[in-house]
Amino acid sequence: MTILFIHSHYGPLPAPYEAAVADGRLLGVREVELTSDHFEAATGLITTTHLDQVGFLACRPALTRLLDRGGRWFFNGHLLRIFVEGLGIYEPIRGARRPDYVLTRLNPHAIFDGIEQRSLEENRGVAGFYGRGHNPLPGGGLAVNGIGPDLLPIDWEWRRPAGGRIFSHAGNDLGGMGGEGGPGALLAERVVSWCEGRIGS
Amino acid sequence: MSILAVHPGAYYHIESLEGARYAGCFDRLVRPEDLAAERLEEHKVVLIPCRTPADRMLAHRARLADYLGNGGTIVATGESESQLFLPGITFTPQPTNFWWWLTPGADLGVRIAAPGHALFRRLAQRDVTWHLHGWFDPPPGVEVLAVNGEGRPILYVDEVTTRGRMIITSLDPFYHHGSHFMPATTRFLDGFLPWMREEFDPR
Repeated sequence: MTILFIHSHYGPLPAPYEAAVADGRLLGVREVELTSDHFEAATGLITTTHLDQVGFLACRPALTRLLDRGGRWFFNGHLLRIFVEGLGIYEPIRGARRPDYVLTRLNPHAIFDGIEQRSLEENRGVAGFYGRGHNPLPGGGLAVNGIGPDLLPIDWEWRRPAGGRIFSHAGNDLGGMGGEGGPGALLAERVVSWCEGRIGS
Repeated sequence: MSILAVHPGAYYHIESLEGARYAGCFDRLVRPEDLAAERLEEHKVVLIPCRTPADRMLAHRARLADYLGNGGTIVATGESESQLFLPGITFTPQPTNFWWWLTPGADLGVRIAAPGHALFRRLAQRDVTWHLHGWFDPPPGVEVLAVNGEGRPILYVDEVTTRGRMIITSLDPFYHHGSHFMPATTRFLDGFLPWMREEFDPR
């Protein structure tokens, strides 16, 4: 069982994921070196805000096969290309003010269990790092966290009818949240566990 | 002739390069992997946006050097490790203070160093001030346009290293504009991109 961490940026893997790589639970692969064999050997994948979405379009068939056989995909960032039927294009909050960044837990989820969502709202007193919009919730998806007074689904999980699950976090990488000493490391561990199917059954 | 922008494909590149606000500022977009097939000499400017992964540009070092040697213009913005694929760049990174402005009366220290330069008919000091990622030690003879609080260059024009021109900055406007984060970065592009067109490829 392999979970792929698609490494899109230049530089080392993000620190919160290093332990999972060292333990052999996560395989970091530079996006430019991805092959369909990587997908065929994987049961889950994590992509970051730096995903080359233009290039990743070429992975659509392999991604679809991974999901069809029950795989899980944790997506960080703004969806600006459609990789899977049912997904939609990111919608930013225009002219956002502070109340537009209020975060609200809408439904319990194993990744966020025991984490107060409002604790992720600010970093050193500044809001907006968590996210500033949402990727549209697919039909039948579960909204996990909402942003702003309209509770726009900034975090959601979708059990795809044709198979597999997608978790979308429409903001900066979830594993980097909260700054030093914050819950980022715990969230990163849970993202890996969710992709493995160990949590969020 | 035209303006060519390298398109590495992350969401912030898509928003900045393809989005309605600036799409007209670029005549052609090219993937880093397709640069080998591109006739660079047909373009007045090659723009390499923030956070272009350096390892996707390394294979094109000689091609970019040839383009500069033939008088071309390259614009490279921050966080791309441009020193790895462009000549004559010496960069020192620094920790980024995202919170400096929370202190009442604080001053990040960025200053316009060449107020008479045409770019600053379109940009004010507040439009080049958001945060810092590092500074350069450019060769003698470059034109320094903006400096950090210690007077070190963060934006300069180099017409001495090659027969062409490099406009180099450690500022990262495409990343933040494309993330819908930090209005100063949008103001920067609102001024910089029309200046680039007017200066190098007027219509």
